[in-house]
Amino acid sequence: MTPMTKPFSQTKDDSAHTTNGGLSPLEQQATRWRQPFGWLLVVITLVYAWAVFQAPLDHTQGVIQKILYVHPPLAYGAYLGFVITAIGGLLYLWRGREDCDRLAISGAEVGVLFCTLMLVTGPIWARGTWGRWWSWDPRLTVTLLLWFVYLAYLLLRSFSGPGPRTARFAAIYGVIGLVLIPLNYYVIEIFDNRSMHPDNLERGSLGDGMGWPFLLGNLCLGFAFIYLVLLRWEVEARRVFQQRQEALEEPDT
Amino acid sequence: MNIALAILWKDLVTEWRARERVIAMLLFSILTAVIFYFALPDQRPETLRTLTPGLLWTAYLFAAILGLNRSFALELENEALSGLALAPGGRGWIFLGKAAANFILLSLVQALTALAFALFYGVDFSSSALNLAAVIMLATLGICSVGTLLAAMAVRTRLREVLLPILLLPALVPVLSGAVHGTLSVMAGEGIPFSSVQLLIVIDGIYLVISFLGFEYILDE
Repeated sequence: MTPMTKPFSQTKDDSAHTTNGGLSPLEQQATRWRQPFGWLLVVITLVYAWAVFQAPLDHTQGVIQKILYVHPPLAYGAYLGFVITAIGGLLYLWRGREDCDRLAISGAEVGVLFCTLMLVTGPIWARGTWGRWWSWDPRLTVTLLLWFVYLAYLLLRSFSGPGPRTARFAAIYGVIGLVLIPLNYYVIEIFDNRSMHPDNLERGSLGDGMGWPFLLGNLCLGFAFIYLVLLRWEVEARRVFQQRQEALEEPDT
Repeated sequence: MNIALAILWKDLVTEWRARERVIAMLLFSILTAVIFYFALPDQRPETLRTLTPGLLWTAYLFAAILGLNRSFALELENEALSGLALAPGGRGWIFLGKAAANFILLSLVQALTALAFALFYGVDFSSSALNLAAVIMLATLGICSVGTLLAAMAVRTRLREVLLPILLLPALVPVLSGAVHGTLSVMAGEGIPFSSVQLLIVIDGIYLVISFLGFEYILDE
């Protein structure tokens, strides 16, 4: 059995896209979608800000409850980012497509950003409502561990230098990271199930006037997530292209 | 399969001749036991016994990282790693040989470290030795499978030894959790808990499959 990935010089999207700034057909498609997403994001952000501002104050928690409109949507983005990383990595290993590897990088970076923001907003909210900054709540613990996994993923990438080897290493580590999500939940369920987070939000579990801002928050941060992933994807493609162009232009020594 | 056995044999013979890795791991884990003694809030026998499973597994993990880091360091000399990559047959077998060697060496270190803990902390493992050995073997299988894969990656990065614990420790949290809970129950004379065995077998299976398949992509330039 031989590895399915090929060296950079032989990969499918190499050299064919010199006229498109190094973008593969999939990346060109993504770039076209990014613009409308950006405008939609601007509009929704304005509506979202207004909706959060006018949303009623919670009787018991006060203004700190408004973190609700940011915190869960950040969590969805974080997990989605890590799923994208694993899928991109697997596609790279399977088909040898560099653009999928670049998508994996985007998923990891934007996922880490969302995860970090979630880990910042969570303790602030927890301090206001549960009375302490940190608790070893199952979801919190799993998210923290996941955050470490993906920081390690980014470190692995940065310390291996550019090239197909790094892409392969990262793809495999991304898969391990994804497998760890259910495994960690499983561990906590067996040994340490003291959840402080509410179960999944059901219809009507939010107070009057809080549903719309929450929905808008999900939409807005969802769009922001997509926009950032698409942007990072394009930047990575152009960066790699630029690097190769410079390498080609350098006189042989 | 022959490749796996050949690599296992090569690693064991190399270690037998040099006796570097096992001695370093063993000294390190016994030193950890001594350091823990001074780090504890009090040295009452009951405190020591309660904390022993957690401390034992922390020592095991650190020793494993030390040993795993060295497991591929030798292969870097004279481009031996490229030679391994050229071996006929699937590279998964190379992984199995390497992981089996790591497993045997680490098991040896673990057994001797357990003796050191028994001696220093006044814990009696003799009544539960078989159960304890079963828990340790199951957890060590998980550590060595994903550890060997990640060590092969880390050794070819710029940071090498520094990167391995950063990559490995988050992946070992479920193993550690299952191992510590299993060890606690075994030491309390309650036998091996089903939940720990189940968890460790699931993790071992997943990590072995990922590592066996993933190793195919690790050795290429």
